[in-house]
Amino acid sequence: MSALLELDRVSKNFSRGGLFSTQRVEAVKEVSFALQTDKPEIFTVIGESGSGKSTLARMVLGIHAPSSGSIRLAGRDVAAYERQAFMAEVQPIFQNPFEAFNPLKQLDRYLFMTAERFGGASGKAAAQGQADEALRQVGLSLAEIAGRFPHELSGGQLQRVAIARALVAKPRLIVADEPVSMVDASLRMSIVNLFGRLRNDLGLSIIYITHDLATAYYISDRLIIMRKGVVVEEGPARAVLSAPMHPYSRQLRDAVLTPDSAGAFRAGHSLKAVAEPGASS
Amino acid sequence: MSGAADQAPVLEVDGLQAHFRTRYFGVNREVRAVDGVSFTVRRNEIYGLAGESSSGKTTLVKTIAGLLKPPLEMVGGSARFSFLPEWDAVGRAPPEVVRGIRWRHLSYIMQGSMNVLNPLRRIRYSFRDFAWRHLGGSKSEFDARAEAHLERVKLDPSVLDAYPHELSGGMRQRVTIALATICKPEFIIADEPTTALDVIVQKDVLAMLRSIQREMGSSVLFITHDMGVHAALTDRLGIMYAGRLVEDGETAEIFAQPLHPYTRHLIASLPRIGDTEQREGLEGTPPNLAEPPPGCRFHPRCPLAMPICATTVPAMVATMPGHRVACHAVNPGMAA
Repeated sequence: MSALLELDRVSKNFSRGGLFSTQRVEAVKEVSFALQTDKPEIFTVIGESGSGKSTLARMVLGIHAPSSGSIRLAGRDVAAYERQAFMAEVQPIFQNPFEAFNPLKQLDRYLFMTAERFGGASGKAAAQGQADEALRQVGLSLAEIAGRFPHELSGGQLQRVAIARALVAKPRLIVADEPVSMVDASLRMSIVNLFGRLRNDLGLSIIYITHDLATAYYISDRLIIMRKGVVVEEGPARAVLSAPMHPYSRQLRDAVLTPDSAGAFRAGHSLKAVAEPGASS
Repeated sequence: MSGAADQAPVLEVDGLQAHFRTRYFGVNREVRAVDGVSFTVRRNEIYGLAGESSSGKTTLVKTIAGLLKPPLEMVGGSARFSFLPEWDAVGRAPPEVVRGIRWRHLSYIMQGSMNVLNPLRRIRYSFRDFAWRHLGGSKSEFDARAEAHLERVKLDPSVLDAYPHELSGGMRQRVTIALATICKPEFIIADEPTTALDVIVQKDVLAMLRSIQREMGSSVLFITHDMGVHAALTDRLGIMYAGRLVEDGETAEIFAQPLHPYTRHLIASLPRIGDTEQREGLEGTPPNLAEPPPGCRFHPRCPLAMPICATTVPAMVATMPGHRVACHAVNPGMAA
């Protein structure tokens, strides 16, 4: 069994302040996990804002170098890769599709560029073929997207184009940073289900970064819960979220409002009983 | 929710229409963001508005609050507050009247209100800017009152001397709620006040908003796209789709027995911890409001669509006392 991605005690410090009063912020502290090549999975990173989950994603993508520890892709250190070869293996999907695409650029150009640079397509016909294949995997087609600008599509469609763009490179790993938080409620589940299909049909591994525990429970295989840069709990997603052990994970789980928490703050219910589990601040 | 006083409406919205009108190079474009919305908000209740982005929620409450700036125009209908009986909408009243009721009777917690505090002014001065002229009294009396009010939202009085950047997101949100409630207004509009917060902080802020509302007996119009928040917080709920209200009623009843196909989908598609059932997204995309589909605006995506849906706008009809829905499949033969 070989590892696709291995993180070994990875930390990242940022320094803040001027020459005389430098403060060090430890964004990520000694995080370790591994994804296996022959077992594609959706690996979820859960955490509040400021927990270091986006910093972790940026390190996996090779945008930031870790301050200490090592990140290896298929046994080789991420820093040792040629940038272009690395991007052919690992592709990002960002939170807000409206910000990820240049509003003045036609969407198909992103697909062709990715196909030529990372997908190994030579010539226009090959690039078009690869773009169309990727778009079909997300339920769109090149005929629908060709010549369109980002404002002509809805958030859900645009996020599908962003996923198709990542697929054009035929990566082995996708890092998705809050990919559904900006997508409309009626379209959110189709994006989440799409991730499940990519894992099952294409054998892709996905690092899914989110603060939404319900979709994490629904789709992911394993997860880690981060707080202030530290992993407080890890394990199989459904087992962890059904019976969280760490006090913070429990607090997080209890704070999730679902249709079943009906009337938690409504008249007739004792407010104290509700406020207690989350009464940390 | 009992007694005759609780049933008295504070806000009556009737057939409200608000459009964005632009004219460039001789091309007129009209986006009908709010198109014929009617509902009432009673005293001492939290009325929720749900709907996805660009369904017109924010435009609706901006129109109700009279915050009309071109290209947004109030085209028709009325939105009458009980404390402003002479005018049928805040936006139609003269500016000096509106200045008199703002903050004192009607306050507005804006979307992304973490960023509405002036970054260069200490919180104390923001409080004075907003509320001193309404509450009166000497400077020290006012400061004492602000401190007492901050305690009510569980903030330390020392927050008054802080700059906004020194506070966490949750604390800033509490400050904006404190600002919106210090004059004890009868009506509070809260537009996605907790969307940017973490779940744990969100829960605290919602519990606090509820207790303040109950203490003052005011009415709240609460907007969020998060159905979980609506289930936990609101008394009654209105569902918006493409600029129109499609269903409204008691929140508990809507969750127990949703009638409109869109509402049913919204509730059924929510994943829950402990439930592994497959959930599907809805096919198609929300309509472009510059050229909305004729008839019922949901019909291109609706699983129950019939020929009549493409031609006739369904009327908002009460199927049960206090539960209205606009759908031909639920109320056959009721055209608007």
